[in-house]
Amino acid sequence: MTKTQSPQELLPLTPPVFHILLALVDEERHGYGIMQDVARQTDDALQLGPGTLYGCLKRMLAAGLVEESEERPDPELDDQRRRYYRMTPLGQSVVRAEAQRLANAVVAARSKRLLERAKPNLAGGKA
Amino acid sequence: MSTSALVRWFCHVYSLLLYAYPRQFRLQYGGEMQQVFRDRCSYVVRTQGRRRLFRFAIHSAADWMTTTFREGTDTLVEAAPRAVRHLRSVWVTGRKRAPRGFVAEWAMTILIYLFATTTLVQAYVVPTGSMETTLRIGDHMLVDRMAYADPGSVGRHLLPYREIRRGDIVAFTYPEDVRETYVKRVMGLPGDHIRLINKQVMRNGRLLVEPYTQHISAVREPYRDDFPIAPDAFTTPRGRAMFEHDVRNGEVVVPPGKLFVMGDNRDNSADSRSWGFVPREYVVGKPLVVYWSYDAPTEELQEWSVGHVLDVTLHFFSKTRWDRMFLVPRSQAAQETGGTQ
Repeated sequence: MTKTQSPQELLPLTPPVFHILLALVDEERHGYGIMQDVARQTDDALQLGPGTLYGCLKRMLAAGLVEESEERPDPELDDQRRRYYRMTPLGQSVVRAEAQRLANAVVAARSKRLLERAKPNLAGGKA
Repeated sequence: MSTSALVRWFCHVYSLLLYAYPRQFRLQYGGEMQQVFRDRCSYVVRTQGRRRLFRFAIHSAADWMTTTFREGTDTLVEAAPRAVRHLRSVWVTGRKRAPRGFVAEWAMTILIYLFATTTLVQAYVVPTGSMETTLRIGDHMLVDRMAYADPGSVGRHLLPYREIRRGDIVAFTYPEDVRETYVKRVMGLPGDHIRLINKQVMRNGRLLVEPYTQHISAVREPYRDDFPIAPDAFTTPRGRAMFEHDVRNGEVVVPPGKLFVMGDNRDNSADSRSWGFVPREYVVGKPLVVYWSYDAPTEELQEWSVGHVLDVTLHFFSKTRWDRMFLVPRSQAAQETGGTQ
């Protein structure tokens, strides 16, 4: 069940899976790097515990969304015991499809005047 | 406990908790999970402080509970067809061999849950005001059961263990009624000479200055405030035995293997003064953190009633003392003044 699967079948993603994929878009990371990046993305709203993080990674590896990386991207901070994860092409298309799905949802919400016009000020978050 | 020792302790506990995950999962990811946990702990301490560390620990505990369950279920689902095939073969051929993964994984998980709740920590509610204002009525806290448990000569080097010191707050089994757990401050170790002079403690000939105590009465009561004079009506038989055997020259001398404890709310505390020493082996552990503090009277905290549930439901936000959340009760050494009398 790897590359023949269409991305649409895997949607919607759970928030942890989506944010883990987002964290891996720009570079490959190890577990702790993913955790930190997810906390940064969501302003600490979504904090992955180690169990959730590795449970998700296990499923994502099985579904072929991510793979373990052989390369060591950061020789300075390298640690032999750490495993690095990188996104597969399937993972890339899945995260893109999910982002598109969420964008569509936002458009729908905006058409019902749930959100501010144009660019909402996301920093505050509270209406 | 210093912060780095606290982080080490958390990591230690976490590495034990990892055994609740199915074997396959643990072998695959356990090492990394431990590392991630350690990194995150140090990061939280460095950037957000100690209080956030407790929050992270509680968050991780919740994460542990849900994910052990989830991974356990996963393993079960994966193992189910195999187990069914196995049972059928047992049925047909009469061979007996327990299917691993099916029974063993869950037995392990349940064992770890039991271990965690009986050995590592225990939840405790402060029912009386004898430790006010260090601990208040309605403080719900976790007691670290490993802190003072003697792990034997080998374990001593492996486990986070230290001797009880003067000024430590300890939870212990109440010697007069072993069903109850009390929390008080250790005032005397074996060999210490103790007496009170007008509410002030004199230990080994030195008067103590104790910033953590509270006195609510201006009246000087001889038994309570100039201890030990002679047993009074409230002294229990154990207390009387102490007066009989362990008072020399107007001072209590703490015998080997015993502790002399007192509440911080000195004028309203039933403690070693009235019921005698606490045997060392009665010590349960050390208060770790207040996870919830709720303003309710003594009776309601001892036994949950319908009324109390209703009260909590209606007044959860207003009666919870938010400022006490994640408070760490600290041991505090009294200052010894040179002055003797």
